[in-house]
Amino acid sequence: MRRRTKERLFFLLFRGCALVVALALLIIVGNIVLLGIGTISWEFLTQFPKRNFTDGGIFPAIVGTLYLMTLVMLIAVPIGVFTAVYISEYQGKSRFANWLRVAVNNLAGVPSIVYGLLGLGMLVLFFGWGFSLIASAVTLAFLVLPLVITASREAIQAVPSSLREASLALGTTKWQTIRHHVLPYSLPGILTGVILSLSRAAGETAPILLTGVVLTKSILPQDIWDTFMAMPFQLYALATQTVFEKTQDFQYGTALVLLVMVVLMNLVAIIIRNKYREKYKW
Amino acid sequence: MSESIFVKDLNVWFDKNHALKDVNITIPKNEITAIIGPSGCGKSTFIRCINRMNDLVTKCKVTGEVKVDGQDIYDKDVDVVEVRKNIGMVFQKPNPFPKSIFENIAYAPRIHGKDEDKSLRGTKVSKYSKKELSDLVERSLRRAALWGEVKDRMEKSAYELSGGQQQRLCIARALAVDPQVILFDEPCSALDPIATAKIEDLLVDLKKDYTVVIVTHNMQQAARVADKTAFFYLGELIEFSETKKIFESPGEKLTEQYITGRMG
Ligand SMILES: Nc1ncnc2c1ncn2[C@@H]1O[C@H](COP(=O)(O)OP(=O)(O)OP(=O)(O)O)[C@@H](O)[C@H]1O
Ligand SMILES: [Mg+2]
Repeated sequence: MRRRTKERLFFLLFRGCALVVALALLIIVGNIVLLGIGTISWEFLTQFPKRNFTDGGIFPAIVGTLYLMTLVMLIAVPIGVFTAVYISEYQGKSRFANWLRVAVNNLAGVPSIVYGLLGLGMLVLFFGWGFSLIASAVTLAFLVLPLVITASREAIQAVPSSLREASLALGTTKWQTIRHHVLPYSLPGILTGVILSLSRAAGETAPILLTGVVLTKSILPQDIWDTFMAMPFQLYALATQTVFEKTQDFQYGTALVLLVMVVLMNLVAIIIRNKYREKYKW
Repeated sequence: MSESIFVKDLNVWFDKNHALKDVNITIPKNEITAIIGPSGCGKSTFIRCINRMNDLVTKCKVTGEVKVDGQDIYDKDVDVVEVRKNIGMVFQKPNPFPKSIFENIAYAPRIHGKDEDKSLRGTKVSKYSKKELSDLVERSLRRAALWGEVKDRMEKSAYELSGGQQQRLCIARALAVDPQVILFDEPCSALDPIATAKIEDLLVDLKKDYTVVIVTHNMQQAARVADKTAFFYLGELIEFSETKKIFESPGEKLTEQYITGRMG
């Protein structure tokens, strides 16, 4: 009897913890949705902010975030994927590769403000890029690279070596084997990792705060050397203003749009993963 | 019978593990040579030396001479890719690509292109036309006795085939590159007796055009298909002669113990 009560107690404890997590998520998301949904309208999504963020919309912040994500992707994906290919296919045992692995693992734990400072010191000031979209994009690319590399490596290493041998035994080169087999078969995994890391980058504030984002700007960024607006920073700036009550609708609206964007990206990642898990089950 | 593979003083180490010791063997053309011996004696290691698959193992060291059609394949000037084109391999577990049946076969020929002149050894190549490629795929599948079973579903995934069909697909895939030698590493160990019988028939048929080397754990299989049989034990080639002789009057005590099942 006692044993069963104990058993029951633990079950309730575990379930309680799980409930706390679910509840927290529900409250946060529910709160944002409930308070933000009223603000969302076509105007809100397509207009520039007016009268100190009490009217108009967040169009330039959405566009800025999208520009930023596109650039981050263009920079981080090729570098990340090729590094992963190098580590796992070419130079697995070399000292350099080992060192790289350690570096990648440690970089993943570096706080984002440190990346921001690096971007500011190196890109904005030392390289003289100034406060710009490109400085922010490169900074964020640094931030997501470890994630992209780790996800790509895992996906690449999940491709069975019997398939590499099959291809090589037909007299094809290592690169042909990578290009026609290893990369295509690991692409879904890589893609999933890329999207998840981008969704992480989409919400980052500290790195862009120090390298290129601005609160107001009357036009969209003209080129990669221009400053830009972005949703997470706009949220941060408005929420920390002394008159923050006045822009509350705006804040919740921005938060909701950002949330929806991140959730959508995660959803796409999940769909890709499930679809291809079926196709490539070794 | 002319020689196809000539091996002299072959030694292989995996780190400190001396996996093959002073192997000397001459494998004849257009015959089936079976490699038998207890697990871990170096059978796979031996055949993987013939197409330089062991190059992929970083801690593996190979010394000695392996000549295929008179050419030393470990020579510094030799292109390992050309070696592997000339020497096909079929593995223990069927390993088709997760692509369509057609793509499985067409993949390598499309990359290699069509040899204009065989004697030039791939120096003069042109692209296969669509028609030529599908002809080649059909020919390879027919040769591997699989065409009838797959001709209506060439675009379907190779993973939809049964294990035995997959293994014949892998054979067809190797044939499509038009090698001179085909190495089989326990090609039937994952198959049922009927699929095995089909592959054995195929092997016998293949030796007309190819030199066949097959590793097998199945003594009856060696006896059924092989012209010559080599017995390996602890990394050494103990005995190599006509299959009949190996099974009826082995020259070595170890061989006899092994084939009569008195050894692990
Ligand atoms: N990739 C490798 N790395 C390290 N050692 C290896 C490797 N491949 C083989 N060996 C070693 O070489 C020896 C011979 O192995 P091999 O695979 O050639 O045996 P085998 O005769 O094919 O056995 P089986 O019948 O079980 O397939 C073994 O001691 C094995 O541990
Ligand atoms: Mg083996």
